[in-house]
Amino acid sequence: MNTFGLFLGIATLLIIGLGFVWVIKGEYYLGYLWWPYIMGLGILIVFGSLFITSYWGSALMGAFGASLVWGSTELKEQAVRAEIGWYPFNPKPKPKPPLYKWIKKIPAPHL
Amino acid sequence: MDLNTTGLVAALATFLGIWLGHVAVRKIEYLSPTVWVPALVALCLGLVFEASALLSEDLNLSAALGIFGFTLLWDALEFWRQERRVIKGHAPANPDNPRHARLMATGAPVTAIDWLKRDPQGRPLTSKELQAIQEGTG
Repeated sequence: MNTFGLFLGIATLLIIGLGFVWVIKGEYYLGYLWWPYIMGLGILIVFGSLFITSYWGSALMGAFGASLVWGSTELKEQAVRAEIGWYPFNPKPKPKPPLYKWIKKIPAPHL
Repeated sequence: MDLNTTGLVAALATFLGIWLGHVAVRKIEYLSPTVWVPALVALCLGLVFEASALLSEDLNLSAALGIFGFTLLWDALEFWRQERRVIKGHAPANPDNPRHARLMATGAPVTAIDWLKRDPQGRPLTSKELQAIQEGTG
């Protein structure tokens, strides 16, 4: 019996669950235009997992990095939810990400 | 130096599991006359994946099966969560689906409109704009 996959699956479910929270908070405080940075961070973490010798460490990094990439594609829809009124809309101006003008020109991904 | 591919495998299983689940649950709930049938299928598939993960000697295969299996188990629950979204009017109902047609007839805020198919404006929508979306002109 190899329990690695089963326990990793449970851990991944928790990591994904965390995604529900940080997408809401991230959109509220930063705004959806930060998506390329979240996506880039996720990709970097997945890349970094290649250099971790521990199987558990590498796997958890991979799952976490992937959930960041996924969450980055959810930010735009979350912004719409807040504007519709399904979630609280932060009345304070959101910090502009670096390269703001360019990011505004790229359509934010949504899968 | 040797690269540890377990993280990459875990990342792919996680991303594909979420993506596929996200799209499939919405699509199937939209079309299916029942919620429990697709939920039961996802539950059984998830259990098969977890059993296979336990039986797999290969760490990477066990990781992929274990992660993908748990996203399937979550999808089983998501079918009900998706129906709740339809009942609240947050997800589009399908008038050709008898289950959704029944929900629409109850007078609840059930709607065929997809509220989320728009770009953010950077400000809360006005009640006029919200009304226009509801009437299908926004």
